[in-house]
Amino acid sequence: MIIEIALLCGLVVFSAAAIIFRDLLRSAICLAVASLLLGIIFFRMKAPYIGAFEISVVAGLITVLFIVTIALTKTGGDVRESKAAAWIFPLFFVVFLVLDFFVMRGLIGKIPALGAAPEEGGFGDVLWKARTFDLVGQIGVIFAGVLAVLALFRKRDKDE
Amino acid sequence: MVFLFIALPLVVAGILPLVGKVSKKFLPDLLANAVFIVLLVLVFFEGRGIAGQEAAVRELSWLGEPLNIRLLLDGFSLFMLFAVALVGFAISLFSIDYMDHYGSKANFYALFLVMIAGMNGLLLVTDLFQIYVFLEVAAVASYALVAFGLGHDELEASFKYLMLSAVASAFLLAGIVLIFGVTGALDFESVSQGLAALDSRFLVGLCAAFFILGFGLKAALVPFHAWLPDAHPSAPAPISAALSGLLIKVSGVYALTRVFLNVFGLTPALSTVLMYLGIISMVVAALLALGQTDIKRMLAYSSISQVGYIVLGIGLGTPLGILGGLFHLFNHALAKSLLFLNSGSLQMATGTRKLDEMGGLGKRMPVTSVTTLVGSLSIAGVPPLNGFWSKLIIIVALIQAGRWAFALIAVLASVLTLWYYLLIQRKAFFGKLNEKWASVREAPFWMTVSTVLLALLCIATGIFFAGTVNSWVRPAADAVVKGLQTALGSLGF
Repeated sequence: MIIEIALLCGLVVFSAAAIIFRDLLRSAICLAVASLLLGIIFFRMKAPYIGAFEISVVAGLITVLFIVTIALTKTGGDVRESKAAAWIFPLFFVVFLVLDFFVMRGLIGKIPALGAAPEEGGFGDVLWKARTFDLVGQIGVIFAGVLAVLALFRKRDKDE
Repeated sequence: MVFLFIALPLVVAGILPLVGKVSKKFLPDLLANAVFIVLLVLVFFEGRGIAGQEAAVRELSWLGEPLNIRLLLDGFSLFMLFAVALVGFAISLFSIDYMDHYGSKANFYALFLVMIAGMNGLLLVTDLFQIYVFLEVAAVASYALVAFGLGHDELEASFKYLMLSAVASAFLLAGIVLIFGVTGALDFESVSQGLAALDSRFLVGLCAAFFILGFGLKAALVPFHAWLPDAHPSAPAPISAALSGLLIKVSGVYALTRVFLNVFGLTPALSTVLMYLGIISMVVAALLALGQTDIKRMLAYSSISQVGYIVLGIGLGTPLGILGGLFHLFNHALAKSLLFLNSGSLQMATGTRKLDEMGGLGKRMPVTSVTTLVGSLSIAGVPPLNGFWSKLIIIVALIQAGRWAFALIAVLASVLTLWYYLLIQRKAFFGKLNEKWASVREAPFWMTVSTVLLALLCIATGIFFAGTVNSWVRPAADAVVKGLQTALGSLGF
């Protein structure tokens, strides 16, 4: 239980730090650490497939892409961190803990323990057979992302 | 064939960036408009196919092997598919001339078609997680479309929209996860049965609260509306029309109606919450619209107000209330798209969105002036236009249900609506022509064709309202009222 709480606290800390840092490199590293912690949480919750995806794709591949992009586009010179980062983050964390304490105390006992859903076969069966339509949606999301990059990073033609 | 509603826009969206390398304008224009014509034909074809049935579940197969893709087509989804195809076609026609000066037209159409595919997917899904997936498809495309102009305001509005939309998605996902945890199912029918058998009112209430927050943000109901008055005006006019005319209705109102009326079941408490959200949105947004000087911002606030009417009618939960709500959804999709497109014509002609800087443009842009008047009077609920009938049905339903106070507020909000639409008309089109606009000309051909088409539809739907209601709206309302329990149960789903 203590390990779970420590992992969840770490997840909140690094997620918030990723938002607060102005330096994109620091921000990307904090995001990677947050993803790593989330991946470990998934493993501990007996969801190894999603844990492996989270660590390999989000914490690994995407972080590498972020860092390469930052390295290629950075103009040099250190970014001055906002002074607010020094006090907003601890304040945010304390407020979060207080709210979490009261919300969870109110919820415990009212929400029945969530049982695991019935097993529907292996990971491959679920992905390719039970949730085929989700893959169509995933294709749509990837399309939208690629097209968004093409549209938002476009060069204007001379006649425009 | 039903799968084409999703596959066709997605496939053409995939081809368009390549086509854009060969032909910058003509082929992208042709392909995008052809997709909407095919979608319209499909709607009529499928409509004939399910005539007389309560619902049809189509299972897809490939070379005889089932693909485990189930699509639900009932009166409600067909009605919404019709609205999406019709308004999408008008927007696509308008974009032929309007999007010329933005450049990268092929990418614009591709993103627009992905958004349409996302909306169509959402209208055909049979389970809660698929709602989330297709909401994201439409949303990701819409973030890019809002920022398409690449100006500071567009990027800022898109970022704000993305942030609040992510909050909405998080709430929806939390609700879906909780429901999956307690019922062990995601498809509508099993979830509905699981929730009915569940002995935890608190948990069901918590899930309902998450869904209200999520769909409330997507539908921009007050107090979850902060993103809309920035996002909708900043987008290019065709996208403002698509967001206000379609997206908030599909990802907000449709999904909310499907989940609450067909899966959760509308309890008195839920009905009261929805009705109060509706009435507050209606009044607060109408008052906020009055104070606007930017035409697109005024229209954006008007969208929030009109969604309030729709949610009020649906939240009432009586057959007549649902009928009125859905009819108003359709009418508002037509009229608000028309008005946003006309605001684009005005912005293109004058270079401004400020109403105070306009004036007398009716003399230079007579068609835009007349079509704006039609759209304004329709939304304000002036007879014999379509908006009058849908508002009348909602108000009669409220009176029938003994909700006199709500009915009175709905009438008063309608007066406020007429007031700010007459302000638009007076400031933009009537009075003495501002000398700055002496050289202004009527909107280009395809933009005019599109707005005239929508204006004629507003008039025709008003005059032949009985036909529209009986052929499209009543089957949709029946599907919502009867719920999926009976409809899908009979199909062994």
